Amino acid sequence: MSSLALDANVGSIDARVDAIAAGRSRARKWRYTSYFVILAVVVWTVEAIVIADTDWSRILTGSLLTTLGRFLELDWSLVPDLWEPAVETILMATLATLGGLLLSIPVAWLGASNITPFGKYSYAVGRFLMTMSRSVHEIVWGLIFVSAVGLGALAGILAMAVRSVGFISKTIAEAIEDVDPKPLEAVRAAGGTKFQILWFAILPQIIPVFVGNMIFEWDINIRRSTILGLVGAGGLGLVLFRQMAASNNGGIAVVILAILALIVFGEVVSYYARKAVI
Amino acid sequence: MPQFADVAVASGRVPLTWRRFRYPQSLYKYGALLGTLAFIAFALDYLSIPLERLPGMLGRMGEMLGRRYFPPNIGHIMNADYWHSVVETLQMSYLATVLGITIAIPLAWFASFNMTPSRRYLYPVARLIIMGCRSVHEMIWTILLVAILGFGLLPGTLALTLFCIGFSGKLFSEAIEAIRPGQVEAIRATGANNLQTFVFAVLPQVRVAWTGITIYTWDVVFRAATVVGFFGAGGMGWYLRESVQRVASKDVAAILLSIILVVVISELLSAWLRTRIARAIA
Repeated sequence: MSSLALDANVGSIDARVDAIAAGRSRARKWRYTSYFVILAVVVWTVEAIVIADTDWSRILTGSLLTTLGRFLELDWSLVPDLWEPAVETILMATLATLGGLLLSIPVAWLGASNITPFGKYSYAVGRFLMTMSRSVHEIVWGLIFVSAVGLGALAGILAMAVRSVGFISKTIAEAIEDVDPKPLEAVRAAGGTKFQILWFAILPQIIPVFVGNMIFEWDINIRRSTILGLVGAGGLGLVLFRQMAASNNGGIAVVILAILALIVFGEVVSYYARKAVI
Repeated sequence: MPQFADVAVASGRVPLTWRRFRYPQSLYKYGALLGTLAFIAFALDYLSIPLERLPGMLGRMGEMLGRRYFPPNIGHIMNADYWHSVVETLQMSYLATVLGITIAIPLAWFASFNMTPSRRYLYPVARLIIMGCRSVHEMIWTILLVAILGFGLLPGTLALTLFCIGFSGKLFSEAIEAIRPGQVEAIRATGANNLQTFVFAVLPQVRVAWTGITIYTWDVVFRAATVVGFFGAGGMGWYLRESVQRVASKDVAAILLSIILVVVISELLSAWLRTRIARAIA
């Protein structure tokens, strides 16, 4: 871009016009080529997914409507059995958020460039741990922990805690990198140790960010804990799994409605909690 | 002559040692701490979590993972079928992202408070659609669509599309809400209608942000696409489910490793692309 501007400034007006026109036509070619590539890949994927892999005769012969209809025959008899798993789901999400917080503190300490203890090596370790935690899907974490600690709420809590580390520690590390350095200097000048600097100068500054993000993560964890039961951790997901195994479509619909209600509850609570904090 | 500070300390009005929290605040603080601990105890008890198993857990976990999952059976994933499923996962994530972004663009326009054509009707409806897509976990979309459409790539793609709409729609509309109003007023002053204002005043301002968001969305969608197969939509997750059901732990380990590998590759690719594009456009 800058070389073009330079070319355009020297030489006659014709040369300048030519340079600008050439730049435009190059940009246009580049743009049309990328449109064409995007479209070609779309055609290829549509061919593979929508045409080759889908049994349209089964979907179009009306079985679609009958299946949908079966979902609409809601099985309300399930509702009394849903309270306990719902409470379980909320408790799992809360414990997982607290556990994720505990795990995040050392990771954030390593991954914040201004306080990391061993220079760029520990910084790289911290960043690597954050990426690992975020890039593995919660279902995969769930499978790993279910096989490690057995079926039950503990596996789900550990899976969500580990999955939360990525987000919580990344935001904490960024907040630490943004702190005002003056209180740090003041504590150091008063003879504070490294730990005292962390505790009295950095911690008070990052608490607001921190609490807001914890509430946000709690909200997301509620969403996650509703499905972790599908791989063997308790809560509403387990009920959903049982209904699926029994192919009780009305029951599936009721459990999903309960999950939606729970998610809306989580969202409302987190909205007001964040408003109260900030 | 005694200093003011000495007098203050001697009179007992100012404590000798400094604390961050004094009487009322310290009470609230310890109360909150106690409440949190009580809640944790209650939750652990309610969920009947075997706490006594926690201390030796890490060691046992390592041992068991080592015994049952090591060495991962790499041979299980080194065949053409499995490689084809990786390509299918890519296809699903691609189509879902393109479709989702296409739907999310007008929705984000309607759902941005400053630019929406109608604050009365379109704004709440678009917000509701985006929030609805967001708040349902992508796996639940998958389960529902698999139950309705049957096994295959199509329900997975549609589930990921819905997820993509929720995810990118929110970020897109936030980007629109952060634009500068000057250009909008200038375009509007020339007599442009809503669509023309959107195309000539809003799009050029959000182009860079949206490109970055699109790539990031693809990354997140791809991550989800590796596991939607677990509930009956195709791709790598389908193999995962099949191995989990056979309790073939060494195969599961190989598949999990391959999933982590491709996800990390996609993340690196998306980070690289985002920096490149931000530099190229800016």
